Amino acid sequence: MVSSASRLVLDLVARVGALADGETAQVPVLPGEEQVVAEWCSRTGNDFVEVRAGSAVVRRGRPPGTDEVLAELPPERRPGARLWLYTNFDCNLACDYCCSRSSPQAARRALGVEAIRRLVQDAAEARVSEVFLTGGEPFLLLDLDEIVAACTAYFPTTLLTNGMLFRGPRLDMLRRMSRDRLVPQISLDSATPERHDRHRGRGTWQRAVAGIRTALDEGFRVRVAATIPGDEMTSAEEETVFHVFLDDLGVLRADQIIRPVAQRGFAETGVALTVETLVPEITVTADGTYWHPVGAAHLDQLVTREIFPLDAAIEDVRRQFADHQRTMLGAARHFPCA
Amino acid sequence: MAEPLLVGAVAYTPNVVPIWEGIREYFAGTEAEMDFVLFSNYGRQVDALIDGTIDVAWNTNLAWVRTVLQTEGACRALAMRDTDLTFATVFVARAGSSLRDIGDLAGRRLALGSRDSAQAAILPVHFLHQAGLGEDDVELLRIDSDLGKHGDTGRSELDAIRAVLDEQADAAAIGVTTWEAIGRDELMPDALTEFWRSPMYCHCNFTALDALPAERSDPWVDHLLRMSWDDPEQRRILEMEGLRRWMRPNLDGYASLFEAVKQQEIPARW
Ligand code: SF4
Repeated sequence: MVSSASRLVLDLVARVGALADGETAQVPVLPGEEQVVAEWCSRTGNDFVEVRAGSAVVRRGRPPGTDEVLAELPPERRPGARLWLYTNFDCNLACDYCCSRSSPQAARRALGVEAIRRLVQDAAEARVSEVFLTGGEPFLLLDLDEIVAACTAYFPTTLLTNGMLFRGPRLDMLRRMSRDRLVPQISLDSATPERHDRHRGRGTWQRAVAGIRTALDEGFRVRVAATIPGDEMTSAEEETVFHVFLDDLGVLRADQIIRPVAQRGFAETGVALTVETLVPEITVTADGTYWHPVGAAHLDQLVTREIFPLDAAIEDVRRQFADHQRTMLGAARHFPCA
Repeated sequence: MAEPLLVGAVAYTPNVVPIWEGIREYFAGTEAEMDFVLFSNYGRQVDALIDGTIDVAWNTNLAWVRTVLQTEGACRALAMRDTDLTFATVFVARAGSSLRDIGDLAGRRLALGSRDSAQAAILPVHFLHQAGLGEDDVELLRIDSDLGKHGDTGRSELDAIRAVLDEQADAAAIGVTTWEAIGRDELMPDALTEFWRSPMYCHCNFTALDALPAERSDPWVDHLLRMSWDDPEQRRILEMEGLRRWMRPNLDGYASLFEAVKQQEIPARW
């Protein structure tokens, strides 16, 4: 009689041998035979994906390495290319869809200029290419100009703000920031106050538009980002009106971003964003290092409680992302449309 | 620019498609661009080489021998895999069997793969003859499960192994690559054992007719030989095709098969 392990090995050779590279086959296994499959795969250069419902799933060929998986993404989107820093979590507003659960009541949880200095130095060594500062509302911090200077010394930097606090010492801080290296990104959801104010509070549209004008007048290139709740998808017409409005303000078309609300934080509806579906953009807050800025208030996206060393967290995220991609590739090949 | 060199291969597994697409890609933009044509069996491929439909054929050793016989030697081997230079046939039996040597097969039953497989049928019979064993001395169980593909699929060899494990045969003759693919005797503990291994011989090669000018084949071969294990994309192709390096051919490695084909009166064409 053919013993069970022998049958298994012969099945593996026959079934996997009949596949094209990257395709998967299922070979029935008995409990305890996983080791034989793993050993066979490692000898023959194939990929043992998992055991599912009594069958070993084996993908033909060597799984792509982390670098090979990441090479599929454009360089600026590769995990580790962008570094997000949550300067603080408190905010002068309390928008209903805020993904960081910020509000005037939220605890500040500031990263602090010293930590940020160290992080950007580490980031420079870890081949990060761009920094994004966000919150909360960063302009609540009265040393924001120092924080920005620390970042722009190494990287082109984007500063996310609601644009409502450009007065007095805060306007002075804005004036001290680099025009070449810093792009303020101001939130504005619509061409008229109605939609914007519904989610962000009465009178906020007016002040945000004033903030955009101020930053432009101060000589900054300004990016404007609109956040659209899932049940309020805009019509093409509405979008055109919005673009024309921003054109008139003097915001370049390339700097006009319209995006759906992320299902995170206070948002109840929106685009579901999980570690499995999001290309990571490493994000550091006072509480730890996260997978992506939209998940910085969520434990499922916590990479580590530590914020140093940054390069280790980046490496960890790159590896985890490559693992997810490989699994998804396997699943995609495994569940054909028919 | 000259027409791309047209290379033929036999589609014995779906993996042949990504392999040849990868090889074509490797030649793209060089002075030796190529395209490929896939055939369902080696008979058609050799016909297409001889009638000029393709410039080069990726041939098994039997397809090479048949090309030489049909063209009366007016053909040449261009290159082969490093693994083609060291091919061998392995004779295996159930673990614990009393078989120790090829000569011990007298009076026993030997499972062979497809009759057009050099490694699992033609050469094993030849090795038996060399050991003094004729057709009457050893009972042959022929398993022709992948005829036309010269044993490339490995299916008939796996079936021959099953016959041994099921005690329908005392031994099986299989290619060394199949023996490696099943993990030799290490993954199937207490199941199989190797009791004899043939001298090394050559397996596949890229065959061209002498009518193909060297100006066309030389740049192609030169670029082929430069394919590198250290380049991740090229390595992927090499791994899929089962080699680490492309090599210049060694024609001595085909002598045993020429002899076997002659002795066994295997026709030059089919
Ligand atoms: S969305 Fe922005 S402005 Fe609104 S509460 Fe959150 S951090 Fe503040």
